[in-house]
Amino acid sequence: MLDDKAMTTRMFFREAVARAVREEMKRDDKVFVLGQDVGSFGGSYREFDGLFKEFGPQRVRDTPVAEAASVGIAAGAAAAGFRPLVVITYMDFLMIGFDALINYAAKLRYKTAGGLTAPMVVKTTAGAQGQGVAHSQCIEAWLMSVPGLTVVAPSTPADAYGLMKTALRSDGPVVFVDHKKLFPAPGDVPIAEVATPFGEAAIRREGADVTITCHSYMVRIALDAATNLEKEGISCEVIDLRSLAPLDLNTIAASVERTGRLLTLEEGQTTCGVGVEVASQVFEKIGYRPWTRVGALRAPVSSNPVLEAACVPNAARVEEAVRHLLGK
Amino acid sequence: MIYQLSVPAAVPGVEEIRILEWHGETGASFEPGDLIVELETHKAIVEVRAGQKGTLRAILAEPGDWKAIGLRLALFSDDAGEALPAVDAEAGDLLVEFDVT
Repeated sequence: MLDDKAMTTRMFFREAVARAVREEMKRDDKVFVLGQDVGSFGGSYREFDGLFKEFGPQRVRDTPVAEAASVGIAAGAAAAGFRPLVVITYMDFLMIGFDALINYAAKLRYKTAGGLTAPMVVKTTAGAQGQGVAHSQCIEAWLMSVPGLTVVAPSTPADAYGLMKTALRSDGPVVFVDHKKLFPAPGDVPIAEVATPFGEAAIRREGADVTITCHSYMVRIALDAATNLEKEGISCEVIDLRSLAPLDLNTIAASVERTGRLLTLEEGQTTCGVGVEVASQVFEKIGYRPWTRVGALRAPVSSNPVLEAACVPNAARVEEAVRHLLGK
Repeated sequence: MIYQLSVPAAVPGVEEIRILEWHGETGASFEPGDLIVELETHKAIVEVRAGQKGTLRAILAEPGDWKAIGLRLALFSDDAGEALPAVDAEAGDLLVEFDVT
């Protein structure tokens, strides 16, 4: 077989995003980007570097700080036949665009009996990194319940690339959620133009004693915890959800049947969170198993670094929860 | 004396960098302020400049390679003729300045 290593190239998370967007913009001239700092600045996280120079201001459009208008314009442009990628730098401010996204884009197919659709992608960056209560939130769970809305969250450059390609080709609307802390770590991305399908989780680590489901930056936390727990003789299976709506129930349920225990991990609030939905769907399918959920403490995430660190989950908290679940 | 040039933590949050371009070959001498190498982070390009006079003796990472913070990139010596030890021998840090662009 061909050597797997030769078929990948290592790149930053932002380069993986830029590559996917560039390829899709070349492939389909209906794809365009709009958002704050996407143009000559190259993206708030430099994730659109080079696109403005290559495609020009008609297809890479800087917007003012006006999330409601930007998401609304994207929804309308999508209904009119374009494929917009609207970029919301902080997921906290996606709230301002909820009306256009949820009441219009997500419901358009239903309201028009399929006559109109909204093939738009919202790319937005979640997560805590020292910027305080309105620049730290992870609200993916709020979006998972919206009929008609697809929600995905890559944790690696390869999936940032693959999921963005799928998103820009899909019927939409899609919310693509990345995380501030994902940008520093490079990863191997296939050289071939391979898309990552929606609805497929990825088992990042195989294990026998407990299934840990997670997404986005928390995948790293889960893997760190699993490495530490192995020294205590506890074997964790870590599943990177990748796709939050739709969830890959088959992969998750099969894992929980094997391990017999579930820990759902997220950076957001556990109240009505991603984990509760994962657990409910798994137990509906295979019956109840011992389960615990780990997420942010019940407080807004402070800009104070000590309080922030106390609020969001870390490996130690996950390890403690696993031990508790195993009765140790 | 032999010195090591290691990957600087020039930008907050950086974990790994990509080598972009060396601005000298082995045997080249550098004065304080001379540009030695350009490194790419997830945020910006870091220009590593000599903070002391020295001669580049061994390049341990090529353009396109990835290195984590703190790992050794090159060996320098005060004099061009000094005997070169094994590439993983102990060495003090070369003084450097860096510009972030």
